[in-house]
Amino acid sequence: MTPLLKIDGVSKRFGGLQALSDVSMAVETGEIVGVIGPNGAGKTTLFNVASGFIVPDSGSVMLDGVRVDGRKPHHLCRLGLARTFQVTKPFHNLTILEAVRIGALNHTDSMSKATKLAQEVLARVRLDDRADQLSRQLTVIQRKRLEIARALATSPRIILLDEVAAGLRGFEIRELIELIREIAAAGIAVVMIEHVLEALMATATRVIVLNFGCKIAEGSPAAIVKDDKVVEAYLGTEALHA
Amino acid sequence: MTDISVVLQVLVSGCLMGLIYALIAVGFTFIFGVLDVVNFAHGQMVMGGMFAAFALYVAFGLDPFVSLIAIAPLFFVLGLVVFRLLIGRIVESTHASHTVVTLGLFIVLENVVNLIYGGDLRGINTSYTSRSLHLGTVSMPIGQLAAAVVAIAVVFGLTLFLNYSSVGMAVRAAASNRLGAQLVGVNVRRVYAITFAIGAALTGIAGAVLAPVLAFDPFIGGSLMLRSFAIAIIGGLGNLPGAIAAALFIGIIESLASLMLKGSLSNAVTFGILMLVLLFRPNGLFVRTSR
Amino acid sequence: MTRLAWPLLAALVVAALMLPFGIHEQLLTAAITALQLIYLAQCWNIVAGYAGQFSLGHSVFLGIGAYTSTVLFLTFGVSPWLGAIAGAALAAVAGVALGALAFRYRVRGVFFAVLTLGSMEVVRGIVPNLDAIGGANGLFIPMADAPYNMLFNDRRPYYWIALAMVVLMAVLTAVMERSKFGQYLLAIREDEDAAEASGVNAFRSKLMAVALSAALTAFGGTFYAQFMLYIAPDTTFVFEHQLNMMLGTMVGGTGTVAGPIVGSAVFSVIAEALRHLPLGENIRIEPVSQIVYASILMIMMLVLPGGLVSLVRRNRRLSAMAVQGDTG
Repeated sequence: MTPLLKIDGVSKRFGGLQALSDVSMAVETGEIVGVIGPNGAGKTTLFNVASGFIVPDSGSVMLDGVRVDGRKPHHLCRLGLARTFQVTKPFHNLTILEAVRIGALNHTDSMSKATKLAQEVLARVRLDDRADQLSRQLTVIQRKRLEIARALATSPRIILLDEVAAGLRGFEIRELIELIREIAAAGIAVVMIEHVLEALMATATRVIVLNFGCKIAEGSPAAIVKDDKVVEAYLGTEALHA
Repeated sequence: MTDISVVLQVLVSGCLMGLIYALIAVGFTFIFGVLDVVNFAHGQMVMGGMFAAFALYVAFGLDPFVSLIAIAPLFFVLGLVVFRLLIGRIVESTHASHTVVTLGLFIVLENVVNLIYGGDLRGINTSYTSRSLHLGTVSMPIGQLAAAVVAIAVVFGLTLFLNYSSVGMAVRAAASNRLGAQLVGVNVRRVYAITFAIGAALTGIAGAVLAPVLAFDPFIGGSLMLRSFAIAIIGGLGNLPGAIAAALFIGIIESLASLMLKGSLSNAVTFGILMLVLLFRPNGLFVRTSR
Repeated sequence: MTRLAWPLLAALVVAALMLPFGIHEQLLTAAITALQLIYLAQCWNIVAGYAGQFSLGHSVFLGIGAYTSTVLFLTFGVSPWLGAIAGAALAAVAGVALGALAFRYRVRGVFFAVLTLGSMEVVRGIVPNLDAIGGANGLFIPMADAPYNMLFNDRRPYYWIALAMVVLMAVLTAVMERSKFGQYLLAIREDEDAAEASGVNAFRSKLMAVALSAALTAFGGTFYAQFMLYIAPDTTFVFEHQLNMMLGTMVGGTGTVAGPIVGSAVFSVIAEALRHLPLGENIRIEPVSQIVYASILMIMMLVLPGGLVSLVRRNRRLSAMAVQGDTG
């Protein structure tokens, strides 16, 4: 069965920095895949390549068997790939409803249908009581939920979440875990960059580890945490022999 | 042979004018590189320099190359004032606000000078403006030659400043990474103010030096700004050496064009080149392509 | 719109319709000019206020419209009603060409501003060399009473045409704002990356906005030609029209339906007031007005970027011109 998303041998260099080095990964429908690694490992660059914001120097990105690297982001969105941004990008001067509706218009030309879909999505992320507020006025945490809402509204088959748990506390994390599980249960594949281990361990079925642009490990969350290479990447060689 | 001497003359004239254009464009691309502001009023500031030189010439008989010494610091201070009042308020805002505010400045400058001096063409005629230096078959108007020399000196001085003075290095730091510069203690706001002031001083110098070379009226700023913009883009925005190369390039092309086309079409030629560059190499012709 | 607004609006429109019957000929000309200003501001608003693409050379589209319909009329006898369509098409093509160049490779928004400005300058430099379309002397349209050629002896039909254009533009803007296309433009204006990630083809939408704005501006150009009966490079391809368009929209509020209307009206009043300013004999009014306009523009940008409309709108949307949400 062709994987939903297949990233094959992707490399990307920025000036003197090799951000990604021959990275490959595959995501099947219904999976929740985690992507972890120290800061600067290339995780967001990987997302940017996967979503069309960056063209890789080499390698390919296939979405459901269709080659998409080099295509513009909107094209990938049409084909069913949605993403959030690590630093949230709200449509400042639009209301929350309008902002989410932009995503909802992805597969319909009808304003009324899009509005309805946007309202449903807002309810799912529990922002529906603020539908008429300007995006500009949201707190950072609320903006993260808006990011997810906007991505969900595009009716994606796979969604890339970039550090959506950052800055969340206890019950917020549990709410997020719940939401991610709901998304996956609805048949949407999830790929998440995450530093918050609690969220990662509770949701991901498979984890990929990047360091200095290379994939250094892949496996179940439990196995990854014990992997020598991963420990070394995060804590240094000293910690290995501790 | 007449053909070669014509080509040589065109090249030399082009280089001379190119260096003068470089003087104007360098300030423009400098402000852009550091502040990320496209200064629409740049051409009018140069025009201001021209009229400043004119005023000093009319009042005290001062040669523009002498009044340079007064005009440069004066424009530096004026630059600080304008930054404080206007530019500083929008430097961290959107590009649309940059456009509107510098555009407003453009209009105000043009009309203030128009009010004071009227719309007639002015010029400065010194003892050397009509004389030329002859090297073989090539003749170089002394005014242009002197202006080109000043241009080279200014660019040299700016490069030294940026690379070897502490303020200059602070400028480069702020230009490449604003947050990073702040984190290491650079007073970014002051750097911005100084950069704009230097840019202003450069326009004053450019204006003073151009006054004996070109005839000017209050409306010349528009085409000067367009040409500076074209040069800055062709050279790669924010790229100082690129701007100089681009300026020479444009100078030579325009020199060639004036040979074959009518004068009023020089804007069209520059613009046409700009369009081609945007079409094929939008990052500039003289930029090292980083793969 | 509150319930009070509808009857008020209707009354306003009726009053506007009746205006020519009650006032002086001279005042009527001023009214027609004011309506023209409003219309052009509304056109510029589409590309600058909604799509967020700052065009500085919109006069070039005005000129293309004016020249196309006029040349077709004078040389081939084509009615300006039809010639206007040709002019609009030509302007749309020009706009798309400029936009395609400027919007590539996600370059800065200021590129579009300078490209349009530059194109205006270039056209102004080229036209004087083209004697076939009047050269530097321009083109005169002989006065006549020929409604099928958009020529009227009486001023009043011009007024009603201008009024119709303004009303139609307002309706068009309102409809567009609520359509998928309009919403996509707003998204692009706010954050082009986020818009792309949400499925918006930013490049194509921006081009469509430019084409639409350019075409509509060109219609205004035809009207301008038929009303003034004289067009020339130095009166048509000039920054003055651009400044009027910009001022009207920015004073009133970009990206809104009412903004250009309110702003241009206020601006016309200011302009009229300036004309009666008691200046010394040596001080010419033209540069002084320009300085005042430019100062208003700058002050508006610094103090009230949302325009006058933002003072009343319940949502208090700031203009995207001032908030860090722009794309270029």
